Order: sequence, then C-alpha cells, then structure tokens
Amino acid sequence: MQVTVKLFGPAAQRAGSREVRVTLDGERPTCQDLRAALARAAPALGDVLPVSRFAVNQEFAGDDDPLRTGDEVALIAMVSGG
Amino acid sequence: MTQAANQLTPAPAPAPAPVIIDVVDGPLPGASALAPVENAGALVCFEGIVRPLEDGRRIAALDYEAYQPMAGAQLRRLAERVLHRHGLLAVRVEHSRGRVPAGACSFRLRIASRHRPEALRAAEEFIDTMKRDVPIWKTAVFAE
Repeated sequence: MQVTVKLFGPAAQRAGSREVRVTLDGERPTCQDLRAALARAAPALGDVLPVSRFAVNQEFAGDDDPLRTGDEVALIAMVSGG
Repeated sequence: MTQAANQLTPAPAPAPAPVIIDVVDGPLPGASALAPVENAGALVCFEGIVRPLEDGRRIAALDYEAYQPMAGAQLRRLAERVLHRHGLLAVRVEHSRGRVPAGACSFRLRIASRHRPEALRAAEEFIDTMKRDVPIWKTAVFAE
C-alpha cells in the first residue's frame, strides 16, 4: 500500500519536501509501520520521528491505528503555535 | 399566558456562541470589543506578539503555517474543553497564518468568566496545550 505523508514546518525543511511517499507491506499496516517506513524513506527525519505524531484524516492517530488506502496522513512534529 | 401575550413578547436575542475560533491570514487586527457576556466578572485577554529578537538575531517576521482544517478543529476542541472544565462563560481564539511582521499580534485569546482565578488558570492551560497539540508551525524570517 502506498501512503503519502504531508510534512510541515521544521520537518518539511529537514526533509526538503512537503510530502514523502512510502510503501507499506502487509495486509493491515499501522502507524507504527509507517513510522519505520518513513525513517527509511526520509533519514533526515530520524531524530524527529520518535517525538512526532501522525494525523490520519485530520485526527491524531496512535501507533496501533490501521491505515487504509486513500487516508490523508500528516506528520505532526514540533508544533509551535502562538 | 394567553396567545395574544405570547405574540407581544419579543423573542430573546440569541446568546452569542460561547466559543469562537478564527484562523486568519496575516497579522491580527486590533481587538474588537467583546460582546457583553452575562454574569461576567473577569475578562482575560492574552496577545502573542512577534518578538523582534530571537537568540540575538533580528527577526523581520514569522511565517505561520496551519494544517487546516485540523488546526481550527483542535483549537475549537481545546477551547470547549477549558470552557467546561473551568466553568467559563466565553472563549474567543484568533490565530494568524501566513507572514506576521515583528511587533504585530499573531495570537489572541480572550476568556470571560464569573471570577478571575478560573480565567487565568484556563488561559495558561489553553496556551500550554495549544503549543503541544495544535498543528501550527512558525518559521523565523531573519532581517539580515
């Protein structure tokens, strides 16, 4: 399954891109699988990922939450509003 | 009450929404007068201003980026949570996106409550949580 992860702020700057496309194996990949795949696809995010969360379809998701084809996925890292 | 009396009684004005969220382009305009809130004894207003210096470097502006509509939804969820947890009367949140020059306002939180302590506690809780849970980012645009 292919997933495109949206990147913002410092994470986008580190990756040099506003999004990263990764391929997930298995029948029911989870956000934990995505975290590992993203670390391989974008090594510049290595130190960011352990302290980041994913949003799936505009809601925070946990590591065990499944991903489905067509989900909107964003990496929520180092927010700094205000 | 008779039917005639019902017809003569003006309908009460609709109460203002207790939570209002605005994410707007560029710096926030000057604060407008908050609509009177019934039973309010305290109004706390916090404004976040773009600092002209960061780590000794002069800043021309901050570029704010918001992941919408999630950012607005998270702000609303947070505002409703502090509204109920602290028994507040009203919460209004304004946040910039896009470029905000140094010295301009990028964030405004206004809280109306019956008494001062709950408004101050709620303001602190709101801002701390926003900086952790709301998908908004800022990037410094340095002057030199």
